[in-house]
Amino acid sequence: MAERYAVLPCNGLDKAVGSLAREIALAVVEACQGELVCPVLFNNLPAHYAKALELPLIVIDGCGTRCATKLATEHSLKVTRKLQVAEALKLMGESAGDSLTLDAPRLALCRLLAKGLLSAPEEGAATQDEVAFAEPAEYATVTHDKFVFRIPRQGFLFNENHCWAQVAGTRARVGISDYMQQELGDLTFCELPQVGAEIGQFEAAGSVESVKAVSDIISPVSGRVVAVNTAVTESPEIINEDPYGRGWVAELELRDLENERALLLDGEAYLALVRQKAADYRP
Amino acid sequence: MSDNTLSCAGATFMGVPREKIPWAPTIDYAKCDFCMECDKFCPHQVYERREGDVKLVVAHPEHCVVFCRACAKTCGPDALSFPDKPETIALIKRLREEGSDG
Repeated sequence: MAERYAVLPCNGLDKAVGSLAREIALAVVEACQGELVCPVLFNNLPAHYAKALELPLIVIDGCGTRCATKLATEHSLKVTRKLQVAEALKLMGESAGDSLTLDAPRLALCRLLAKGLLSAPEEGAATQDEVAFAEPAEYATVTHDKFVFRIPRQGFLFNENHCWAQVAGTRARVGISDYMQQELGDLTFCELPQVGAEIGQFEAAGSVESVKAVSDIISPVSGRVVAVNTAVTESPEIINEDPYGRGWVAELELRDLENERALLLDGEAYLALVRQKAADYRP
Repeated sequence: MSDNTLSCAGATFMGVPREKIPWAPTIDYAKCDFCMECDKFCPHQVYERREGDVKLVVAHPEHCVVFCRACAKTCGPDALSFPDKPETIALIKRLREEGSDG
């Protein structure tokens, strides 16, 4: 028997992706004997769902407007898993169609997406070598007003999108910098890339979301995802607390580091970039 | 989003003058419903609101953070698109080599 979830879907009654979101929510609730949370009633009468929301929460957004996510954020609900239907369809090369009533192929698609939501995320096999991905030995700091940004002096490569790669042998871990986590503020959700996915240099290796913003994690290096840090999906605040250590996001088997290195910054060069940014920093 | 600073004249990205990198959103006006979510989201003043039929334009493409597509994630009608990433990377590499040659 699968773990039970509360499911908060989009209420896009006038859009095909909304119909899909509703159908996926129904399939999830049925499969896990969970609780369905109506976004309209929840918005008006949150107390009605107090009991249901003691369960871990799945949020299903239809489109980029992300109404369900915003509702969850407004009510400070912790989101355990989420799906954005339009994005998921794009990745699968499928379309939502125009009809608000769902035909058999689309109903099958909904069941497939529901199954995906309920299956435990694959963690892959992270290297157990604690020495290889050791926490930074020494930080440089940039101070601006009451903000202090830390940058590891050694062992990390950065891009100008404020993401890092820590290389050990043929693998690298990627994550976001201290500057980026402070700029985003308290993280509410971290989406991990799929184990086995091939990621190009400067392509997204997942995304992070705060009350303020949602941002792709732009991978400094290319490679195949061999492991992901599921701890940060359970507790995204780990990234705020320890962005260069316990807050790593994904581990990649490197593909072409030698060519890619030329486009990256070392600790000293990134320090110079953060100095420049910090001068104009407005949180 | 990736930082709060506005690009100014002389800004560079990966050692290349920013204005030489054509990275910015394109609005598909057949889809856009002018909800302004992208403009509210973007901290870099890439977009500007206008009076009239076309209520939003990409006024400052050079402010857009190269490789950032975050505003597209806020777009309900899926009206925003960006240039191809591998092509952009290839262009940046070429411009860097040209820059170091002379």
